Amino acid sequence: MKTPTNPSSIKTRFAIKFLQAMKKLNKKRSSSPSMADKQRRCRLIRAAACASMASAVGTRRAWSRAVLRKTVNNHQYHSVINNRRRITRRKRVVMMRRGNPREGHSGNLGEEDDILRGLVPGGEGMDFCRLLSETAHYVKCLRAQIQVMTNILDHYST
Amino acid sequence: MNSGLLEMLHYSQNNEMGITYFNENEQFGLGGAFMALNSDQGPSGLLLNGAMKPEPCLENGWSDDFRRILSYENVSSTIPRTLSCPPDVEAPMAEAVVGKGKEVVSSFSSSATGRESSKKRKADKTQHLKVVAEEKTEEKKMKVCEEEESKITEQNSNTKSTTTTATNSKNTKGGSANTKENSKVSEAPKADYIHVRARRGQATDSHSLAERVRREKISERMKFLQDLVPGCNKITGKAGMLDEIINYVQSLQRQVEFLSMKLAAINPRLDFDDDNYLVKEDFLACTSNIPPAPSEMVNHTHLQFNTLVQGVQGSSLNMVENPMEGMLRRTISAPISIPHTFLDSSNLNQIQHLTWEDELQNIYSTEYQQGRSTSFISQPFSGLFEANQVKMEM
Repeated sequence: MKTPTNPSSIKTRFAIKFLQAMKKLNKKRSSSPSMADKQRRCRLIRAAACASMASAVGTRRAWSRAVLRKTVNNHQYHSVINNRRRITRRKRVVMMRRGNPREGHSGNLGEEDDILRGLVPGGEGMDFCRLLSETAHYVKCLRAQIQVMTNILDHYST
Repeated sequence: MNSGLLEMLHYSQNNEMGITYFNENEQFGLGGAFMALNSDQGPSGLLLNGAMKPEPCLENGWSDDFRRILSYENVSSTIPRTLSCPPDVEAPMAEAVVGKGKEVVSSFSSSATGRESSKKRKADKTQHLKVVAEEKTEEKKMKVCEEEESKITEQNSNTKSTTTTATNSKNTKGGSANTKENSKVSEAPKADYIHVRARRGQATDSHSLAERVRREKISERMKFLQDLVPGCNKITGKAGMLDEIINYVQSLQRQVEFLSMKLAAINPRLDFDDDNYLVKEDFLACTSNIPPAPSEMVNHTHLQFNTLVQGVQGSSLNMVENPMEGMLRRTISAPISIPHTFLDSSNLNQIQHLTWEDELQNIYSTEYQQGRSTSFISQPFSGLFEANQVKMEM
């Protein structure tokens, strides 16, 4: 890998965090899982993978910050059922969007731009330049995530 | 306009050509405007009036010549006429005016024909240009006047170059054409403004520079992404590249979802192995710090670890091979409850010792030396562990 930071350290941290999260999830698991349970579990594992990737990256990237904030907010939302908090969060997103108006970028890249913003976490409030760099880092991290998850899967299936 | 004219008079007494130029400019501008409006005799009279108005200011000898030019214009009301008819005194002046007008026209329109250009006139032109550049406040008005005038001369030279007499019908024709020309003039200043902007260096102001820097940044990051996303090298154009990037990110996210689904499906069978895997994964991950390709190193180091452990068992713990293996399993699966401390290798050893002491006291007591030896052998491991832990923390 030709990254400036040490990529395997991110991989390592991700693996450790992800396996810890899996362990926690395994503890909670019921003995006879239904279909809904399985789906929920799949969702939880995916969320755990995202969150552990973000926490492995740390807070230096905008997309990981967004994921972490989302996770924390979700956690708070689940622990304390509070509608007002949810509303404030939504408001903040809207304000972020308004606060960072996209200046006219060349050509008719409007829709692609918006799709990419939807894909990269936290991309709603970025300008185009920032969005591209965040996308690059996000792609790298997704690759690392996939590699580690494939390894884990290989290990368990054999 | 008159104030600007006076200013010009005060400004340059030696630049007589410039003054005459501006005077003529103004009057031609006025004449053009009136020619567009009125018919034959009207413009000439007004032109004369316009010529008389600045006259008190002009106390030089050439004001007479100037009036003569205007009288010629009174007859013909065209500059080509003045060009062809006047004596040699006025000729350079009028030529300079026409040349200047032509220069302005040729700077933004292709219709201009530089037939009468010569070196001498160019020198005059540059002089005029200097004057124009120095006079900031009246420049735009003057520009419009110049353009009008030049258009008039163009028009007239096109239509009347063949004719020798200026008839009233022709005059009105020229006037009607002038109205058309005026409509063209309205869009001409824009192009001229761009040229002026580039000439003055306004294209290098902070906004333009910031925009340029931003564009460079975007293209640089696009290039970076192009390297990152496979199959993006062939595509040229931003939109196609963005499409490709979006597709790639989506496929990666789907892959993650698929993997998590698989993990969710596969885990229930092998939950006891999870912790075991965690230890191994730690080892793998740590050892894979050094090699660049961890995916293959995973299995390799895994095997290495197993063989090493087996070697330890085989060499020093021959007698208690089976219980040792079971115990190792258990000790490895023990740290579930304390995952953080368990990551530390020294803690791992301590835990191993504890579980040894707790669970298998009799074996431990008898095989104490072997236990020590295993722990010593595992010291390199722990050293590696700690080093890598430090790396990971960094």
